[in-house]
Amino acid sequence: MDIEPFMLRAVLTALFLGPLCGFIGVFVTARRMSFFSDTVAHAALAGVALGFWLGLPDPTIPMILFSLIIAGLILWLKERTALLNDTIMALLLSGSVALGMVILSLLKGYRGELDRYLFGDILSVGWGDAALALVVLITVGSVLFWKLNALALLTAHSDLAHVSGISVRWLNYGFVALLTVTVALSIRLLGIILVTSLVVIPPAAARNLARSLRQQILLSLLLGLVGAGGGVVLSYPLNLPSGPCITLTLVGLFVVSLIGGRLQRAHQNAS
Amino acid sequence: MDIAFRSPKPAAVEVRDLHVRLGGNPVLRGVNLRIEAGRMVALIGPNGSGKTTLLRCLLGLQKPDSGSVRLLQEGPPDPALLRRMGYVPQRLQLDPSFMLTVREFLAIRRPLTAGWFWRPSRQIDALLHEAVGEMDVTRLLDRPVAGLSGGQLQRVLICSSLLNEPELLLLDEPTAGVDTPGEADFYELIAEVHRRRGLTVVLVSHDLSMVYRHASRVYALNGVICCEGAPEEVMNAESLRQAYGIHFTPYQHHHSHSHGSHGH
Repeated sequence: MDIEPFMLRAVLTALFLGPLCGFIGVFVTARRMSFFSDTVAHAALAGVALGFWLGLPDPTIPMILFSLIIAGLILWLKERTALLNDTIMALLLSGSVALGMVILSLLKGYRGELDRYLFGDILSVGWGDAALALVVLITVGSVLFWKLNALALLTAHSDLAHVSGISVRWLNYGFVALLTVTVALSIRLLGIILVTSLVVIPPAAARNLARSLRQQILLSLLLGLVGAGGGVVLSYPLNLPSGPCITLTLVGLFVVSLIGGRLQRAHQNAS
Repeated sequence: MDIAFRSPKPAAVEVRDLHVRLGGNPVLRGVNLRIEAGRMVALIGPNGSGKTTLLRCLLGLQKPDSGSVRLLQEGPPDPALLRRMGYVPQRLQLDPSFMLTVREFLAIRRPLTAGWFWRPSRQIDALLHEAVGEMDVTRLLDRPVAGLSGGQLQRVLICSSLLNEPELLLLDEPTAGVDTPGEADFYELIAEVHRRRGLTVVLVSHDLSMVYRHASRVYALNGVICCEGAPEEVMNAESLRQAYGIHFTPYQHHHSHSHGSHGH
């Protein structure tokens, strides 16, 4: 069976980023950072618009950079002001989207591009994106495994992590940077609006079945792989944007895990 | 000449003229404190008296405006010193969506079991065996930490803080989420750990009756240490009035009844 090169690029990128989002998502959901993930994803729109405005053929780098700047701003405002987290993120999310829309409306011929970034498009994934996704999978995945104990302890209790000799501040910054890069890169596949689903749904589905953190991480990796890969494969014959296909595949997996978890518990109670 | 010199025991905690302001308000206004090594002591005081702030200074989580903290006769809290201390917080911030089990929580706290993710459970259990047995948490090992009752969680937290053989154990309102019969069992357990290991225990508590039974020395805090001494000296109405700002007759928990194993 011949496989189109664009399809191969998209499937490979999905297979690299799906498990990574699933892994990092375990800590994102436990630390209640889903809205944070959503905010840095929306901030990417302004980065994309700036890239086009500067005449760059590929806006990936400004997209990641702008998301990192917004992530840093969230942390800075959280430390330096009395504003609530939700308020800070709502402020920066709406501000970035508005900035992106203003820049794009000043440019001509970028309407189609906007849709690609909002909903994801497998046609927009180049070999460079696939290679970058592999590099990010290896580096971010390795750091997450290397810092697994520290992250788990930070999630349980930040003071306890400090007393155990962990530099809580730098671990927080590092985690936010890794999350931002992972999310920004996944926008090509899922789009800005739906990218958080790949970070949130796999760990939530894994939680329905897992009985330990180890199982939750491994299941979340697997569900991210199946959801992202399956969604991309489905999007081509159905002629649909890849973002909604991946998200609906993940929702389907979540429903299956919910039923599976209930059956598992009923079986345990009966025996 | 037959003179027996009794030098004072070394101090596990020494605090000198400690001042901390939070949001412009003075919370600690010149705290002086000396806790002898090997004692089990209690730090009591009303809400807002600075108990938690003082504890945070001892843990290096709060930088004082002036004054000094010296721990285990070495110096201010630093990573090397913190490794020789144990800390039991009031509760964890765990979200129920995080499936961390008791076994995993204990394993991540001990360098010996740091590679838990790749090891079979049996190997981890063998390495944790001693501490787990001492605190009687063996049957909780497979349970998610987020699903434990207040009493069970406190046992697990103490177990985890004892894993690295601390010389100084700090407990912050340890029975905040525990029912009354469970509280008595909990303090008995801490007293037993103290006796067996001979470590210094500092209990930050508002629970006067339990403090009365178990602490060998009590420090009443209200911005400053307003009184200190043996429990029966500090627990008289005048001392407590100074600390709490009200007339107060301490309730003493009488043990003519037996406690069940609630909260375990």
